[in-house]
Amino acid sequence: MSTNERIWEVFRQEDEGDPMVHAGNVNAPDEELAMHYAREFYGRRGESHRLWIVARDAVTELDDPDLLKPPFDRSHKKPGGYIIKHKLEAAKQRAASEAGE
Amino acid sequence: MTDLDPATRDALAELLLAVADDEFVIGFWDSEWTGIAPMLEEDVATSSIAQDEIGHARALYELLAEVTDDDADRIAYGREPDAYRHAALLNHRRGDWAFSVARRYLYETADAVRLAALAGSSHEPLAQLAAKMRREETYHRLHADAWLRRLADGPPDVRERLAQALRQLWADAQQLFTPLAGEAALVAAGILPEPMSTMHAAWTARVRPVVEPIAGPLPDAGPSAEGRSTRTDDFLWLHGEFTMVAGGAEAALW
Repeated sequence: MSTNERIWEVFRQEDEGDPMVHAGNVNAPDEELAMHYAREFYGRRGESHRLWIVARDAVTELDDPDLLKPPFDRSHKKPGGYIIKHKLEAAKQRAASEAGE
Repeated sequence: MTDLDPATRDALAELLLAVADDEFVIGFWDSEWTGIAPMLEEDVATSSIAQDEIGHARALYELLAEVTDDDADRIAYGREPDAYRHAALLNHRRGDWAFSVARRYLYETADAVRLAALAGSSHEPLAQLAAKMRREETYHRLHADAWLRRLADGPPDVRERLAQALRQLWADAQQLFTPLAGEAALVAAGILPEPMSTMHAAWTARVRPVVEPIAGPLPDAGPSAEGRSTRTDDFLWLHGEFTMVAGGAEAALW
C-alpha cells in the first residue's frame, strides 16, 4: 500500500467563524481515505468543527527569499515604521484644551 | 422494565444480546489489527473503529442490564463461550487484510439495515441508542466501502483474496438476520419494527449487486436457526483473550 501514497495537508477549524489552522498531515493513497484518516487524526475527539484536506502537491509554494525577504529597508511598510507617539500626545492635548474652552 | 410482560421482556433481552455480542466480538477481532495494519494512518483508523464498536456494545449491554437487572460487565466478560449470541460471521479469526475488509463490508451493510429499523423501535431507549449509533456507523460503512472498492480495483492477486473471503463469509453473513425465538412478540409490540426476514431481504438486495461482480455468483443462502449459537475454536481463543484480565482480577474496581 505504500507505493502510491500521497501526503495530504490538513487544516482544522475549532468553531464556526474561527480561522482554518494547519493541523498537520496524513499519508493516504486517495482523497477518500485521506478524509477518513484526517477525521481520525484531527477530529475523532470532537475537537474540530470543520476540516480542509488538501493534497500537498496541489499547494503552490513560495519560499524565494528575494521575494519574501527583500534586501532593502522595508520599515516604512510596517506599522512600526511610523513614530506617531508624539503626534498622538499632541492631538490628545489639543482635544483636551478645546473641550475645556 | 415493569411495563413489559415477561415474555416480551425476555425477547427484548434476546435481541439486545444478539446486537451487543455482534458489536463486541467484531470490535475485538478488528482490534487485533492494532500495530500491524497496512499503514500507520489505517492502523489508527481501524483501531478507532474497533473501539467505537466496543463502545456500542457497552451501551447495549448497559441497556440489557437494565432490562434484566444484571451488570453490564458481568454480561460482557462473565459468560462461558457458548452463551454468546453473535452471528456466525464473527466466529472467524482476523485473517488477512482482505478477509477483514470483506467481513467489515458485509457486517457494516447489515448493521446499517438493522439500525435503520431499530431507530424506529417502540422501546424508546433502544430507538434513541440506535439513532446515536447510526451517526458513527455511517462513517464505519463508508470506510469499509472505500476499502472494498480499493481492493476490488487492485492487482489480480489482491482482488482474488477479497473475492475468496467474500465467498467464504457469504453464508455466515446471512446469520446476522437469524430469526429470534421471541421475534413474533417483539414485532407485535413494535420493539422490532420489522421481522428479520424483511431486513434480510433488504440487505441482500443492496449487497448482492456489489459483491457478485467481485466474488462471482453467490449461492441463495439464508439465515438458519443455529446462526447465532454455533461457536468455533477461533472464538474460544478470542474469548480466552478478552476475558483474561476480567477473569484474573474478578470483582476488581477500575
